[in-house]
Amino acid sequence: MNTTQEKTNKFIKKIKYLLLKDGQFVLLIGIFTALMVFFSIMENGFLTARTFTSMGFQIAEIGLLALAMMVSILIGGINLSINATANLGAVLAGYFLFRMFPPVDTGEIAQIFTQINFPIDGNHTIYVAIAILIPLIVGAVTGIINGYLVGYLSVPPILATLATLSLFTGISTGLTKGRTITGFPPDFELIGATDIFGIPIPFIIFLVMTVVMYFILNHTTLGFKMKMLGTNPTASEFSGINNRAVIMKTYILSGIMSSISGIVVMSRTMSAAYEYGSKTYVLFSILIAVLAGMAPGFGSVVNVFISVLILQLLSTGFHFVLLGVRGSSFFKDFSWGILLIIIFVVNYYFKERKKQG
Amino acid sequence: MFSKLIKSNEFLVLLIIIVLSIVIGLINPAFFSVATIYDILRASNVYNLMAFGLLLVVILGGVDISFVAITAVASYGTHMAMLKIDYQGGIWLYFLIGIAIGVICGLLNGLLITKFKLPIFDLTLATQTMLYGFSLFFLGATANFDLPEGMVGYYGKYLAVTQDPFIGTTGLHISVLYVLAAGIAIWWLLKYTMIGRGIYAIGGNREVAKRSGFNIDKITMIVFVIMGVLSAIAGVTQSGFQRNFSPTLFIGQNLNVLASVILGGASIHGGKGTVIGTFLGVVLTQLINRALILTGIPVEWQQFVIGVLLIIFIAIPAIREERNRKVGHTTELITEEE
Repeated sequence: MNTTQEKTNKFIKKIKYLLLKDGQFVLLIGIFTALMVFFSIMENGFLTARTFTSMGFQIAEIGLLALAMMVSILIGGINLSINATANLGAVLAGYFLFRMFPPVDTGEIAQIFTQINFPIDGNHTIYVAIAILIPLIVGAVTGIINGYLVGYLSVPPILATLATLSLFTGISTGLTKGRTITGFPPDFELIGATDIFGIPIPFIIFLVMTVVMYFILNHTTLGFKMKMLGTNPTASEFSGINNRAVIMKTYILSGIMSSISGIVVMSRTMSAAYEYGSKTYVLFSILIAVLAGMAPGFGSVVNVFISVLILQLLSTGFHFVLLGVRGSSFFKDFSWGILLIIIFVVNYYFKERKKQG
Repeated sequence: MFSKLIKSNEFLVLLIIIVLSIVIGLINPAFFSVATIYDILRASNVYNLMAFGLLLVVILGGVDISFVAITAVASYGTHMAMLKIDYQGGIWLYFLIGIAIGVICGLLNGLLITKFKLPIFDLTLATQTMLYGFSLFFLGATANFDLPEGMVGYYGKYLAVTQDPFIGTTGLHISVLYVLAAGIAIWWLLKYTMIGRGIYAIGGNREVAKRSGFNIDKITMIVFVIMGVLSAIAGVTQSGFQRNFSPTLFIGQNLNVLASVILGGASIHGGKGTVIGTFLGVVLTQLINRALILTGIPVEWQQFVIGVLLIIFIAIPAIREERNRKVGHTTELITEEE
């Protein structure tokens, strides 16, 4: 009897410690659980494997962009060019395939689409491999450009990446002439549109990248340096950290994460367009980072992961609940904004209580 | 005094505008005409209105994301309400109701920021998402083309009309007056009122401003209300131009307006920026857009050229600053002695 009581006491202490240590994490878990309960009560068909499979397919692209955004915020910067990087990678991969296999006959369809004329027979794994490799290289190169502007020229990150956003979108627009590239080889679908035991591959990619990011931020010197740089750049400079190199590495990491998102989009939609998600994705990824409580020097990958889940849950959940209502897919934007404001307010009161207590 | 003028950022932007104009004019002589000036002014007007509001927020030391959503909610919301009562009058009532909505949105932003001590960027990101969602879900998901009778001719209300062999009949649109009025008002506010000086002070050094007795919360509220009002005017004006009301008006344009404000010499770190500079920044952006068309650069490569120009514009001052920093103490001493 006594030991169980001790155990529960210890458990409560541990929870209290966790709450104090990372209140945001507990808050996010709480919101996630509450939303799950709410939606499963509202809709009978919500808690099924199919719902989660479809969520898994949609979650990866924005989740990867959120990871790309979070590292830049962690060092006290921001990367507005993530979506442009993702699209540029996909467009260049598509352009490469188009150059290798140009269609013989271009009909009316060429007004909107640039069709890749991929031969159906034969083994073309090498081309698929190159098409996957191109975005990764593009991601690294765009990261170097951003890193150079921010780290070595000391341009404020919001301006530097705003300019590169325009530049990268410009290259994509110019190469595609504003058209969508379609006709990717069928092998491509493996990445974006298939699942293993009901778990979508894009989701697995997102999960793996989250783990990689967690490892980098928490178990490598680079991660430690990034946090130091974000907390206080002057202090990190004087403690012997090469700030410029850390900024450069961070933006390269951010670029590669974005380009992986581009690969997922490319293979899920089997097309590459210069304007995919260009009006909303960047701000959504910042929204996720803010929801996760990211701040220069502080933030956790786990929180970002849960935040991505929460936003997708709201989107899918309200889609179920409001099925048949006109314009129902837009309610999610409204709910995201409201949720974010609620979290701000709750955090404010937590902080105030901490100060008083 | 003259050397100070030459060194100022406004002068630099003006110089770029003049040089760019001459270059375009040499490539395409059709550029040198009154019609071009009217055309660029017309395209700049709505962006100027938004940029003036954003300028205040930037001087204050923040970046507003939500003003584009306010333009949409104010203009589209007003229009949907007016459709219900079958209003057929002129645009003035639209402005009145739109401004009221803009004030409410501005108050919402300001209240949340001051009451809960939130970063401007984070909070306005939330309100922009919320406002566009509100507009699309609660007001309507599609653009509406039913203009009231009094508003039909608004897009062609000119102060002066001119004939141009290339563009055709065009004129100086009436909305240039709003920009003039807003520009003078904001210039006066920034230069001659305690509120304006407070905005600069807060952007320069928040703690010092607080200790010298500026009411930070009050000033922040005022800035966001002005931002709301100007956004609403811009929203209704633009809807009048394009002859339809859209729930996603100006979506994705917020960062472009920010780029214009920064081009005009405002500092992203706050405490610096002028109305004239902002006006020139917006005009320069529009001029670049025109230049790309008139000089015959293919449409699909225009965005690329804009990107390259943007990088040059932001890199040059950065390189110059970097060089100063490397020289270090000596330059600081020399400038002080001057």
